[in-house]
Amino acid sequence: MNTPVQESAAPMEKSYSKMTYTHLSKRQSRASFINKLFKNYFLFSILTLCFVLGLVIFFIGKTAFLTFKDVTPAEFFLSFDWTPEDGKFGAALFILNTLSLTALTLVIAVPISVGMAVLIAEIAPKWMKNLIRPILDLLVGIPSIVYGYLGLTILLPLLRELSGESLGDGLLAASLVLTIMILPTICRISDDAIGAVPKKYKEAAYALGSTRLQTIFRVILPSAGRGIIAAIIMGMTRAIGETMAVVMVIGNTPQLAKSLFTSTSVLTSNIVMQISNVEFDSTWNYALHMMAFLLLVISFILILFIRFLGRKGGAES
Amino acid sequence: MKFFKKFSLVTVASAVLLTSALAGAASAKDDLKGKITINGSTALLPMTLQAAKEFQKLHPKVKIAASGKGSVTGPQAVKKGIAEIGACDWDASKDVPGFKAFDGQVANKVAVIPFATIVNKSVKVDNLTTEQLKGIYSGKITNWKDVGGSDEDIVVITRSFGSGTRVNYQIKALDGGDIVKKEKNYKEVGSSGDMKTAVATTPNSIGYIDLTYITGSDIKAVKHNGVEATTANVINGKYKIWSYGYYMTKGQPTGATKEFIEYVQSKKFQESSLKKLKFIPIAAMK
Repeated sequence: MNTPVQESAAPMEKSYSKMTYTHLSKRQSRASFINKLFKNYFLFSILTLCFVLGLVIFFIGKTAFLTFKDVTPAEFFLSFDWTPEDGKFGAALFILNTLSLTALTLVIAVPISVGMAVLIAEIAPKWMKNLIRPILDLLVGIPSIVYGYLGLTILLPLLRELSGESLGDGLLAASLVLTIMILPTICRISDDAIGAVPKKYKEAAYALGSTRLQTIFRVILPSAGRGIIAAIIMGMTRAIGETMAVVMVIGNTPQLAKSLFTSTSVLTSNIVMQISNVEFDSTWNYALHMMAFLLLVISFILILFIRFLGRKGGAES
Repeated sequence: MKFFKKFSLVTVASAVLLTSALAGAASAKDDLKGKITINGSTALLPMTLQAAKEFQKLHPKVKIAASGKGSVTGPQAVKKGIAEIGACDWDASKDVPGFKAFDGQVANKVAVIPFATIVNKSVKVDNLTTEQLKGIYSGKITNWKDVGGSDEDIVVITRSFGSGTRVNYQIKALDGGDIVKKEKNYKEVGSSGDMKTAVATTPNSIGYIDLTYITGSDIKAVKHNGVEATTANVINGKYKIWSYGYYMTKGQPTGATKEFIEYVQSKKFQESSLKKLKFIPIAAMK
C-alpha cells in the first residue's frame, strides 16, 4: 500500500532538496493519510456489497428452507403437480420448463448471434461494422418489458396466424422473445472474442492456402471458442432470470410444457404471478422462496463456470 | 424494474406537484394530516383512485398512495403494516373458500362491484347460462358452436388464484364450479388490467372482469342466464354476479384513514363518482 507513495516521493525529494525535513514529513504523512482513507473507503464499499449479497442469500434461504417442514424434498423436486390450493407443491415442472425454455432459446439464438458476430468481425466492410455495433449496444439496453409488450402485440397474433393455434402463448413464443433479447448480448461479446484472436493466426491460415470459410471455421472460431462460450453463458443467465417479458407471452399455467404451444409457466413467471397472492406464513410462500433460491443457485453456478472458463482461457493465450 | 422505477418516480413527482399546487388554493384551517397507503384488489382500484383524487382536493395535507394486485394482498398488507387500507372483494374478516379469516381486521363496506363475463369482439354468442359457463371453465365445452356460436375453439382466460374477482365469479357465476386448467387454450393473468388486454387481443377468448373495465370495442359483456350485466339489474336483483367491496383496516380506522373511508361511504361520493364508474352505492342494495 505504501510503496507507490514512497516511490513517487523519492524524485520529489531531489527537486525540493532545499526543503526542510519537517515539510517533507508533513507531505508524506498527508499522502499516507489520504491513502489510508481511500483504502478504508474501498474496503467499506466492498464489505457493504458483500453484506447485502449475504443478506439476500440468508433471508431468501431462511424462508426457503421452511418449505421442507411440510413438503418433502423428494416431492418438491420430483413431483409435477403444482396445486398449492390443495397442498401439492411439486416444482419439478417449473425446473424442467425453465431448462427447456433456456435450451430452446439457445438453440435458436446461438447460431444466429455467432453468425452475426463472425459477419461483423470478419466479413462485413468497415461502414457496416460501424453501423451494426452501436445498434447492438443500443438493443442490449432496452428494458425487457418492451420486448414483452412487442411479443404480446406483434409476435402472438403472428404465431396464431402461422400455427393455426387459438392462443399462441407458450414455450415457442417465450423463447422467440428471449432470443431477440439475448441476441445482441451474445453477438457483441462473441464479436469481441473474435476480434481478440491474434492476427498472425489468420495470416498463417491464409498463407497456408485456406479459403476464408476454412479460416473462420478451422482457425478463428476454435481459438475464440472460450470467449464465445462465455458470451453464450452470459446470454443464458439473462434468459433464465428474465421475468417480465416471459410472463406476458407464456400463458402462466402451472403445467409441464408438452408442446411448443402449451400454456405453461417457468420459475420466474410463476414467482411473479403468485408471490403477492399468497399468505405470508404459508408453505406456498416458502415454496415460492425456494424457487427463488433455486434461481439464485443456478445463476451462481453459471457465473462460477464463466470464471473457471475465463481463467483457463487466460492461461492458454 | 426500470420501467416501474421510472413510473413510480413520475407518479410521486406528479403527486407532490399536485398536492403543493392544491395546498396553495385550499383553506388554511384544514388540519387533517396523514399518509394513507391502499393496497389490494384491482377491481376496486378505479374507484379508490377517483376517491383519493377527490379526497386530496378537500384535504391537501393527506397523502394517499394506492396500488393494486390480487385482492388477498389487501388484508395481507394491512396485517404486515405496509398499508393502512387493504381493498378486498370479499369480507376478509371471515373465512372464505381458500382463504382463512384475518384476525383483528375490520371490514368496511364501500361499494357494490358488479362483475361480468366478457368475450372478444370476434365471438358471436351474447348469452351464456350458468351450466354453459360451468362447462366452459371446467373444460367440458371447448368449442363456441356448442353454445350457439361459430365453429371456433374457446380460449379460456382466467385470473390467477387469490384474485377476488375469481373468488366471486366462481361462487356466483359458476355456482361454486371449478376453474380447471387445460393444456390448450388456457391462460392465467395477474390483474384486471391484464385480463382486459388479454381478452381484447385474443380472438375467441372468454374472461371475466368488473363492469368498470368494460370500455372500448374490443371486448363485450355477455348476458348471464338472459340477464344483461347492468347496474340496474344488480339493484333490482335479477343479475346475480356481484359482491361487496371492502376496505380492510387493522381494528377500527382512525384519523385520516377514518375520514377517507367515511368520504368514500358518504352519499356525495356514492351517488356521483362511484355511480359514474359503474359501481353501485351500498345504500341501493337491500
